[in-house]
Amino acid sequence: MKMSAASLRIAAFVLLVAFVSAPQLFAFVFEPLTENGAPAIYNQGSLLSLTLAHLRTVFGAVVASTIVAVLLGIFVTRPAGMEFLPLSRSIVNIGQTFPPVAVLAVAVPIVGFGEAPTLIALFLYGLLPIFENTLSGLTQVPPLVLDAAKGMGMSPRQRLLGVELPLALPVILAGIRLSAIINLGTATIGSTVAAKGLGEVIIAGLQSNNVAFILQGGLVVALLAALLHDGLMTLERTIASRLGRSM
Amino acid sequence: MIEIEHLSKHYGETIVVDDVSLRVDEGTITVVVGTSGAGKSTLLRMINRLVEPSAGRVLIDGQDTMSIPEDELRHRIGYVIQGHGLFPHRTVAGNIATVPRLLGWDAKRIAQRVEELLLLFQLDPAEFAKKYPHELSGGQQQRVGVARALAARPALLLMDEPFGALDPLIRSKAQDDLLTIQRRLGTTVVLVTHDMEEAFHLGDMIAVMDEARLLQYGTAAELLTRPLPGFVERLVGTAERPFRLLSLAKVGDAVEPGSAEGEPVDVSSNLRDALSRLIWIGSPTAPVADASGAIVGRISVDGILAHGRRPT
Repeated sequence: MKMSAASLRIAAFVLLVAFVSAPQLFAFVFEPLTENGAPAIYNQGSLLSLTLAHLRTVFGAVVASTIVAVLLGIFVTRPAGMEFLPLSRSIVNIGQTFPPVAVLAVAVPIVGFGEAPTLIALFLYGLLPIFENTLSGLTQVPPLVLDAAKGMGMSPRQRLLGVELPLALPVILAGIRLSAIINLGTATIGSTVAAKGLGEVIIAGLQSNNVAFILQGGLVVALLAALLHDGLMTLERTIASRLGRSM
Repeated sequence: MIEIEHLSKHYGETIVVDDVSLRVDEGTITVVVGTSGAGKSTLLRMINRLVEPSAGRVLIDGQDTMSIPEDELRHRIGYVIQGHGLFPHRTVAGNIATVPRLLGWDAKRIAQRVEELLLLFQLDPAEFAKKYPHELSGGQQQRVGVARALAARPALLLMDEPFGALDPLIRSKAQDDLLTIQRRLGTTVVLVTHDMEEAFHLGDMIAVMDEARLLQYGTAAELLTRPLPGFVERLVGTAERPFRLLSLAKVGDAVEPGSAEGEPVDVSSNLRDALSRLIWIGSPTAPVADASGAIVGRISVDGILAHGRRPT
């Protein structure tokens, strides 16, 4: 069972790398989907560089969301920040309810076309899962453990860095994973405002009515999401099993 | 030595600890006993300032605890709680090293101390140092909890229902271990429990609390022979009283000249156990042997019973 899961992972990874670096090898798969002699493989740019640009955008947005959401989560669980908890919850929730397309529409006139409006949309969209998970991770730390830490003379800072964050880590990581997976898919709409990414492939397919293009773009995003999900899950499980919890 | 002077704690109108004063001598075990909600945990937590007193003060070796920064104070006082509160993300060695690390000991000194403590608590360092708390049994977790509290050699150890989560068999072993280790290290211990049996077993001095007040403070024998009428008397239990008195006295206290037939009893065992033996074997007397096995006299049922009688 374990063996087959590992080989499945490797197979998916090899397939992804092979496809984005030498897509022509797979032309025969997509040929039946094309009409009137249209190209079977995306030909307006390198799939590899689009994939890397896509990942870079998602990574940048997730890192920014993580920093802001975790810091905010820490702040509102400290005695000094407790009163800001409801306020910050509603602000972060608004970030989630605002559709990314609407954010793009609002952001473009302000910051212009390109990567910036996409980053803003993804950043806002990714805040909520990380923030909520940071909160639940930090509030789930057993009170007895905190009492013992305090009783042994650990300062608030030592308790946060040495006890609370390490114990909340698996839950925070789950939030980051959720946010990254959502953003991988959502980032495709960035291409409507001229951000480089896999959305270009899909949009090119939609414009020229080429199903093969749409499928290629979708396939690469899906494989990326599956691999990322799997990798982060494994990391979470490793950390959680050390804490004696099962996930 | 710890002096608690007129210590009180209120939360709004609610009085949790009401004007408690007591003195704990160096190297002794003081057990604070009472029903839940009596204020005993709050009293304990005011000693290491986890709870700030509303009034009164605590002196440790003559120094007012309010004059010591709170984290520094807690580095000097061991603290053990029910359910141990071990850090689940740190190994046994990492847990025990907590306070030494906070104090900035070097790695070699910490490793030595961890090994020393594991051996003291009968945990093989090779096997246990690298384990995580969830891989240990309840009794082992409890021992690691106490080892962690003793890591930086505190002169004072505070224990809040430390054996509450253990099943009865492991609990009495843990109590005996605590006594052995405390006698060896000479640590002053203040322990909170609701279990009167535990109080009699462990306490050099026993403080009985009820409804935020300290009702009586004395040795086990004083509590048994002269309990304050009312709550203390009910808590001590009148039916068990003679047997508890017998378990406080040693065979050596009741040894009389003469000889007797049969298996000798040990001079250092308690009179309650000796009486059980005599009842069981159906004999009025038994010889008494000292630690080397030499017969030093005999013990009789009548002699034992005299020690369980009401003092006049």
